[in-house]
Amino acid sequence: MVTRTPALQMETRLNAGKRAGFFRVIVAFFVALMRKFLGGETMFVNEFGGPAGGEVVLAPSLAGHIMTKQLAPGQVLFVQRGSWLASTGDIDAKLRFGGLRTLFGGEGLVLLECKGVGDLFVNSYGGITEVPVDGKFIVDTGHIVAFDGSLDFKVRSIGGVKSFLFSGEGLVCEFSGRGTVYVQSRNLDALVSWLTPLLPG
Amino acid sequence: MRFDIIDAPNFALLRIGFDAAGEKIVAESGAMVAMGSEIDVQTSMRGGLLAAAKRKVLGGESIFQNTFTAKQAGQQLFLAPPAEGDMRQKVLAPNEPFFLQSGAYVAHIGDGLVIDTKWGGVKGFFSGVGLFLLKITGPGTIFYASYGALHEVNVGAEGYTADTGHIVGFSHGLEYNVRSFGGMKGLFFSGEGLVADFRGQGTLYLQTRNPSSLASFLHPFRPVKARNS
Amino acid sequence: MRFNTHYRPAHSLTVVELGPNETVRAEASAMISMTRNIRVATTGPLNRSTGGFFGGLKRAFLGGETFFTNTFTAENGPGHVTLAPALTGDMLVHELAQNHQLFIQGGSYVAAPDSVQLDTKWQGMKGFFSGESLFFLNATGYGPVLMNAFGAVQTIDLDGELIVDTGHLVAFTSGLQYTVSKASAGWIKSFLSGEGFVLKFTGRGRLYVQTRNPAEYGRSVGRALPPREA
Repeated sequence: MVTRTPALQMETRLNAGKRAGFFRVIVAFFVALMRKFLGGETMFVNEFGGPAGGEVVLAPSLAGHIMTKQLAPGQVLFVQRGSWLASTGDIDAKLRFGGLRTLFGGEGLVLLECKGVGDLFVNSYGGITEVPVDGKFIVDTGHIVAFDGSLDFKVRSIGGVKSFLFSGEGLVCEFSGRGTVYVQSRNLDALVSWLTPLLPG
Repeated sequence: MRFDIIDAPNFALLRIGFDAAGEKIVAESGAMVAMGSEIDVQTSMRGGLLAAAKRKVLGGESIFQNTFTAKQAGQQLFLAPPAEGDMRQKVLAPNEPFFLQSGAYVAHIGDGLVIDTKWGGVKGFFSGVGLFLLKITGPGTIFYASYGALHEVNVGAEGYTADTGHIVGFSHGLEYNVRSFGGMKGLFFSGEGLVADFRGQGTLYLQTRNPSSLASFLHPFRPVKARNS
Repeated sequence: MRFNTHYRPAHSLTVVELGPNETVRAEASAMISMTRNIRVATTGPLNRSTGGFFGGLKRAFLGGETFFTNTFTAENGPGHVTLAPALTGDMLVHELAQNHQLFIQGGSYVAAPDSVQLDTKWQGMKGFFSGESLFFLNATGYGPVLMNAFGAVQTIDLDGELIVDTGHLVAFTSGLQYTVSKASAGWIKSFLSGEGFVLKFTGRGRLYVQTRNPAEYGRSVGRALPPREA
């Protein structure tokens, strides 16, 4: 949050999914606490609202763009966890991990499966380029902002000498089918690799 | 082969469209953002295996580079540098030299382009962070990036002085000497490191941000090493 | 003296055009380049404009600025110095008028002529979870004051009330009062919400707000970097 008018209230709650049962909420709570202490992104969200209305100004932490997507009934958009900024209306965002390791280390691709009706605000590190896919397309996982639910995707590591190709863990996502992939032009892992030799001890 | 630089000047991204099989571009390792599935990627060592083995790997230099060759027409490739900022292309005529800070190199097209990494190598130029000057000679096309905006200065008879951490490159026609800013006291107290005084007639390319300053800002936020018992 | 800012808002650079014998005082690490006829002096802590010896010390350890600043003077004709901040963002000039004050968050001040005096005014409130501390430089006198922002700048001419996250505040003018409070009720909620401390401003005056928060950025990127020695 950057600024807000005083009458607006802020409530912090767990983002376990709109129709989460009791068990799911408990699991979500423990996952969130673990991730918070291990330095990962949390599943807590802040809800701004109030009887008198008001204005809140939000900004992400990295430099880049904010894209607004209006979700219609039946439409699914997968958003990379760090790219979700805010939503209005009745949008359900379910956390999807790319395997058990991602629970702790933030490795792999952590996605929010977004469904429902409302406005979805997505941020990027860098600019956002829309790439229409019809066939096969490969994207470095650190550069994925979001993609249509109509696409099939497979995360794999490049491995071998070729792992030097890509910054970070050398993970890429192979998309197939028809749909749009939203690609960001900068990548936090690449920034880390670039800065590391310049850091004092 | 078509290319255009999008999202400039803040988050410049190089988009390449291959028009025919066999077209290729060589890029810095780590620069690949996205690509079609019908592109062959070959990883090689800069200057060949023996030269790479002999050279120490310094900060800012990667010994690997990747050659992307299209297997089909219509394939797309997206490349980006790690730093936020601008990117430019420069077409070099045969034997035309261009001096580029090693960290600024993104990619190049043309088998005739020569990238000399051992030229100059004045370590002091970039405050000992392991960056050095590349001497690039045409013919060919070079893509280079700046951290921040790219600020061009036409250097004339009066000369010009710049903080070395902000130098991206310069054209031929310029001479320079590197000194510490403000003498010993300046180095320690004024917060600046080295500057280069330029003389001659040519163009100096500066960047408006500097990775060492970013690294210094982020240093206190790093996790602290656990003590080994 | 003229300040011309280019490449706004993300990678801004300010060219300070100096007439013959004109001097600008600038934060040490901000110099990018300059014409060859600029004489540079490092002002020690014993300078009245920079707040005196103790002012210099206070600024060094509390104000988030470097200990010494540089003065740049054009000799034998006009010249220029180019200045830029360390992080991505905009630069802005506030024209300070006599009998008005500007309070600048530590880290945001870049440069000003000698007609502007700076003093440290210490808020002293360290954000418990956010890690943000509130320190302001108090600028008085007259002349242009060059500041930097992390991200873009929002200029808000306030007549009423507004709540601002502390990490997003660049500067504010006299005429405004503020109180500090936690963003959420309760410490646990503050910890979980990720929001730190907020400032509630009331009155009539101008606020400069930046669209990114340096401490939050530092944490987001810093935790991905290799560990350091304690």
